[in-house]
Amino acid sequence: MLYGLLRKFTGRKPSKDTAKKRLQFALVYDKLEIKDTTLTDLQNDIVDVISKYFEIDKSSLQLEIKRDKDVSALVFNTPILCAKRMRT
Amino acid sequence: MEGKIIVVTSGKGGVGKTTATASIGAALALEGNRVAVIDMDIGLRNLDVVLGLENRIVFNIVDVVNKRCKLTQAAIRDRRIENLFLIPASQSDNKDVLTTAGVERAAKILKKEFDYILMDSPAGIEKGFENSIVSASEAIVICTPDVSSVRDADRVIGLLYARSITPKIIVNRIVPQMVAKGDMLSHEDVMEVLSVELAGLVPMDEQVVIATNMGMPLVMQNNSKAGQAFRRIAKRLNGETDLPIQVPTHKTGMWNKLSQKLGFKK
Ligand SMILES: Nc1ncnc2c1ncn2[C@@H]1O[C@H](COP(=O)(O)OP(=O)(O)OP(=O)(O)O)[C@@H](O)[C@H]1O
Ligand SMILES: [Mg+2]
Repeated sequence: MLYGLLRKFTGRKPSKDTAKKRLQFALVYDKLEIKDTTLTDLQNDIVDVISKYFEIDKSSLQLEIKRDKDVSALVFNTPILCAKRMRT
Repeated sequence: MEGKIIVVTSGKGGVGKTTATASIGAALALEGNRVAVIDMDIGLRNLDVVLGLENRIVFNIVDVVNKRCKLTQAAIRDRRIENLFLIPASQSDNKDVLTTAGVERAAKILKKEFDYILMDSPAGIEKGFENSIVSASEAIVICTPDVSSVRDADRVIGLLYARSITPKIIVNRIVPQMVAKGDMLSHEDVMEVLSVELAGLVPMDEQVVIATNMGMPLVMQNNSKAGQAFRRIAKRLNGETDLPIQVPTHKTGMWNKLSQKLGFKK
């Protein structure tokens, strides 16, 4: 309790909260039982597909697994520079 | 009635499996049960030294499984605690000398002789782990409140469920001061992440090192908080399920409390 107060003043987050978050994240990864390369392969494939339709900034895209209380989601983030003109 | 085989395992090494096996085994024997503690860490035996029985080894579990001796010849009777027996690991063989079929055969005989059989599993999830769990009907998973240990515990819990064994967990080496500061995962945090039943909570305790130095069973040390915790765990396993699980606390003395209140100390 005393420490809690101290922390309020100093603004430091307890390191165990970080530990817990990282753990929960790691366990999601572990349970998906995907190879480490799977995510990068997936990312490359997605980039190829999206590039067919949009011009995207390949250097700033992010692929990550987000975890809420009950669900985990694959989140793909990319800035779209412009739409490609489709040839008809 | 047939005895119960309980495996003590963890995934990660050095978290307290051997300490827990020796302590819970000794405590179950003090409760009046016939207990065998079995060192399944072939090639890296330690349960013998923790219990101070290393000078009395003649045969080992590999001899039993491979029928080189009778069970009664390999089981070392503890002279301090009645009804406590150790079956040591072999130090010269490697983990591959045992087969699951062989262990299961030996387990049948063990269950006739003892009320509780505790298997001290090696670290890892390879063959030695498989041999330790093959005949077990219950499992205790040991973890410490740190990221790597909890993660490994989760992996092991998954493997146990896959074999229809429902594990319980012991959180060992808890440092109450650090938990209070928010610098160590609390047992609630660990339970939330792992979501399995809790078997007990064991504090970090110098007496563990001292007892191991002396080769004395920890649970015979009355001033040991870890020893007391293991005795409660054994009682709960032995049917006293009403016994509440105690959360390790840091007892501050009168003076400390007073000076804290007055703001002399943080
Ligand atoms: N509650 C505790 N307080 C203090 N020290 C402890 C506690 N529990 C275990 N230890 C110490 O931690 C070390 C490792 O314990 P132990 O040998 O029981 O772990 P283990 O899981 O069997 O290891 P291994 O994976 O190598 O078989 C030992 O030195 C032991 O004395
Ligand atoms: Mg050990």
